[in-house]
Amino acid sequence: MKRHLVSRRGVLKGSLMASVIGGTGSFFGPWQENRAFAQGPKPIKLGLTCDASGQYGNSGQDDLRGIKMAIDESNAEGGLLGRKIVWTTADTETTPATGSRIAERFITREDCTILIGAIHSGVANAITQVAAKYGVIYLNTNSSAPSEAGENCSRIKFVWDGNGTNFSKASVKNAVDSVGKNWMLLTNDYVWGHTTAAATKAQVEGAGGKIMDNLLVPQNTRDFTAYLLKIQQAKPDVVATAIGGDDIKALREQVAQLKLDGKPAWINNQQDWPDVWGAPDSLFGVFGTTWYHKLPLPGVANFVKKWQAANKDGPIPVPGNVSYNGYMATRELLRAIERAGSTNNVRIIKELENLKISATDRMQHFDAYMDPATHQMQQTIYLARRNAKPADNTDLYEIISWTGPKAATDEAAAAKCKLVPYDQVPTVDS
Amino acid sequence: MIAAPTNSPDAARLVTPAMLVLWLVLATVPLWIARVGLYPYLGIEILIWSLYALAFNLVLGTAGLPSFGHGAYFGIGAYAFGLCQFDVVANLWICLAAAAVAAGLAGALVALFISHRRGIYYAFMTIAFGQIFWTLAIKSHRLTGGEDGLLKIRRLPADFGFVSFDLNDNVAFYYFVLIVFAIGIAGLWRLVHSPYGRVIAAIRQSEIRAAHLGYNVWLHKASIFALSAAVSGFAGGLFAMAQLAAFPDVMSLHQSGYVVMMTLVGGGLVSFWGPVVGVFLFLTARDVIGALTNAWMLYFGLLFMAIVLFRPEGIAGAVSAALHQHSLGALRERGNSAMRLLFGGGR
Amino acid sequence: MKAPIPARPKRLFDLLPHILNGLTLGLLFALIALGFMLIVGLMEQINLAHGSLFALGAYIAMQLTGTRPPLPAELARAWLALPLGWRYAATLIIAPVLVSLVGIVIELCMRRTYGKDPLYGLLLTFGAAMVIEELIRLVWGTRDYVLQVPQAVSGGFLFGDLIWSTYRFYAAGIAAGIIGLVWLLIEKTSFGATVKAGAHDSEIVRALGINLSRLRLLVFVFGTILAAVAGIIVAPIWGIRPHMGVDAVIPAFLVIVLGGVGSFWGAVVAGLLVGLCVGLSGAYASEWSLLSMYILLVVVVTFRARGLWGKKSVLEA
Repeated sequence: MKRHLVSRRGVLKGSLMASVIGGTGSFFGPWQENRAFAQGPKPIKLGLTCDASGQYGNSGQDDLRGIKMAIDESNAEGGLLGRKIVWTTADTETTPATGSRIAERFITREDCTILIGAIHSGVANAITQVAAKYGVIYLNTNSSAPSEAGENCSRIKFVWDGNGTNFSKASVKNAVDSVGKNWMLLTNDYVWGHTTAAATKAQVEGAGGKIMDNLLVPQNTRDFTAYLLKIQQAKPDVVATAIGGDDIKALREQVAQLKLDGKPAWINNQQDWPDVWGAPDSLFGVFGTTWYHKLPLPGVANFVKKWQAANKDGPIPVPGNVSYNGYMATRELLRAIERAGSTNNVRIIKELENLKISATDRMQHFDAYMDPATHQMQQTIYLARRNAKPADNTDLYEIISWTGPKAATDEAAAAKCKLVPYDQVPTVDS
Repeated sequence: MIAAPTNSPDAARLVTPAMLVLWLVLATVPLWIARVGLYPYLGIEILIWSLYALAFNLVLGTAGLPSFGHGAYFGIGAYAFGLCQFDVVANLWICLAAAAVAAGLAGALVALFISHRRGIYYAFMTIAFGQIFWTLAIKSHRLTGGEDGLLKIRRLPADFGFVSFDLNDNVAFYYFVLIVFAIGIAGLWRLVHSPYGRVIAAIRQSEIRAAHLGYNVWLHKASIFALSAAVSGFAGGLFAMAQLAAFPDVMSLHQSGYVVMMTLVGGGLVSFWGPVVGVFLFLTARDVIGALTNAWMLYFGLLFMAIVLFRPEGIAGAVSAALHQHSLGALRERGNSAMRLLFGGGR
Repeated sequence: MKAPIPARPKRLFDLLPHILNGLTLGLLFALIALGFMLIVGLMEQINLAHGSLFALGAYIAMQLTGTRPPLPAELARAWLALPLGWRYAATLIIAPVLVSLVGIVIELCMRRTYGKDPLYGLLLTFGAAMVIEELIRLVWGTRDYVLQVPQAVSGGFLFGDLIWSTYRFYAAGIAAGIIGLVWLLIEKTSFGATVKAGAHDSEIVRALGINLSRLRLLVFVFGTILAAVAGIIVAPIWGIRPHMGVDAVIPAFLVIVLGGVGSFWGAVVAGLLVGLCVGLSGAYASEWSLLSMYILLVVVVTFRARGLWGKKSVLEA
């Protein structure tokens, strides 16, 4: 267990070292900067806003592993536009106020020209606002609240994860037809939970089903007894959950312990790999994901091998959807900069808005694209359940279906999202 | 100095030499802050939190009431500022006033319930109300945006009728906050040294004696709490401007605990300036040490324990002893007695 | 989102499960508050590190019952060869003893504050709580852990058409047992009598030739052990994570204030009330269930200055 810690410290040290070597360790005075820069073109500096503590501490660090891998790959190929990429990170503590401050520090003190990393939508919004003020591009790698690509969208922000609406669209109709019409919702009482539950409700009712009740669960609930009693009393066919982070881990354990995982049927909106890995024995029901490390697609095995080589002593043995999203977002950003031939923010934004990625390149079943109207990645949505015949101890999922971006798109998002015109974005270049 | 004898010449002044020096030093901050590896936004946060901690210290240090849920009023001010801007009128002065009034009303409401309580019952009532406000802020999605926060709050221009300043730039906003902070400090100084402030200090020494002298103890305890909440809310309004948003996290028990720590570490129990010292130390250390290690709270916790055990007069107390060549022992005794009074107001 | 019409419990009978759930929860709250209450009642000190000691108990137990105990290889093998039930039972004793060492360190620091205002102790232990929580983060990281429990007390059973968690009732039973034992110890033994006397009149105790500082140390260690035991019992329900200390100390503090400082049964009744309140609000308005205990406190303390059955103490001057 101690080893995990060392690796995290290592990460921090690495980032510190990178920032000092990169010559932007400004705490040690501006003079160092000049000395380092004299040796080559100025590096491109990225600020990685990843949680290391709080509700999403684990996921934040897994995000960071994917992001770093993409940066390392690019540097190994000689960098970007002939320049090295350096990065710095700090704990955003799953706290919005900390996110604001870290974003200010990265932009104004560390001279980062792009920010990457998010799990919690509140933190993502706080960072977005600061980034928008300066015109700095921000990649929301893993916050999947539908509002991120709806009312809280931004010209400088790009959202890379599938959201609650996408997952509901991929799962609900099928379940109403095959399992039953009486549904109960178990919803984390915060914005992601609410918007996801609303999306599920619309899908259920659209398919002819009925919502019996929506039980709201306060964040950080660990004891689900009261909810499980109510569910047993109401006897629904399906329970659809929108419970996140460590809460879902606790719920999974309690449901598994009481053996309630057979009937009713459970649909869990999205499961993040770091949460699943923390309690693999209690995985149950049907759930969504955007990627799995044993997808039978070209490139996946190779990617997993490279990821493992870079994270030998990490707390998680294989990459999951969170690390994958971090990696993909960063890789596509770096490629967009290469294509734009410039680090000018608006030119990068335009490249990203026209982004199309082939299924092979994406290591998913369908081609993916960036929706220019909402800045959300439209991608394959997988449904999975617990694997009854695992090939090894990491083989926890059995992928049961995949839905293309066309069928999973959140059509309502574009109407809610208003992007500012390009000329109102402050210019940023590095 | 709160506990200083009131015949000190500074007590009667509107602006003391110490204030002037502090303002002048602070005014030069944007010129050199980048050179020492910090950034103007950090300066803004320090000033705002200093004002908040000074307001908090009206209750903790001046009145000797243990309030552990003060973040609620800071947060309410931030939300009120944003909602005023969106739904009432986008005017800086009106919205800052709204922030103070809303937090002051919330504080007055709470004061109704708690002002006849003492010691740990008082302390825990403030915690309970803090938790209630915090939960309400998270749950009122429609009003506050839940934990997504109330977003897109603007830094309204400082409009004086004949001239208007844009505050979007961090340096401009820093100077605006500095001016507000300067006025706030002068105001709080006068308040603490006014006849009203002296009654509050007397109540801290002994509620019974103050009551015998004919003062309405309940009313004084309630009013100082509401006043402190109002100023905290005002600072919260500034914080919403700094962050461009209002989030529920500042209302949590954790963050309320931070302001207690900052005030005590700085020496708020014996010195008017204690909260400012504590905030400066806490926020700067968090930024600098926090970049090196995630476990910086460990070191701050150890420092805090050491201060409670060995230096109850706090940092400001130790410095002021050195400056005035008071014996440190006497000052420490004053710190001791101040602490004793916090939970023993009636003895 | 427009809320669908919720299925409220219609008959009183439907409420029974929630009352039962609330009562078991209440016993756990009382158990969590027990060590806190002893130190408040007998030493007139508020130990805010109570929650961290609670967490520490759970973490150490998790480490001991887990697959990689922190022992030399030989010993570890012998230890792992034991059935889980035995290991669990042994852990219930070993872990609290280990945690009590931390308690001793805190008490030694706290000695400087005796005779001064109790706020010193509160602030000191607040700092200690921060330090312990950060140390937990350093050693075990931020992730959640699960405490393994023996087969006999895990799983569920069927009762009145509903599946119930066996562990919950086991935990509630243990809690009730421990509460009873502590009461007997305090009220019915000479040790209890000495301790109570020491708390209220140190002069007399000293005159009787009893070593007061040793007595205080004993009481503090006793409180620490109870905190750690509570941590082990509650961990399988709440999970193990760095923040669990804060999640425990706030309800513990609340239960003491609600019950009234210095009242044993006040705290037990307050624990049960809080449990019922949380359980029932879980049935009717689940999203408000966490808030319900604070509202309960505000209502009670607004009308009763010292909680339910509080006695006069230095903690309120």
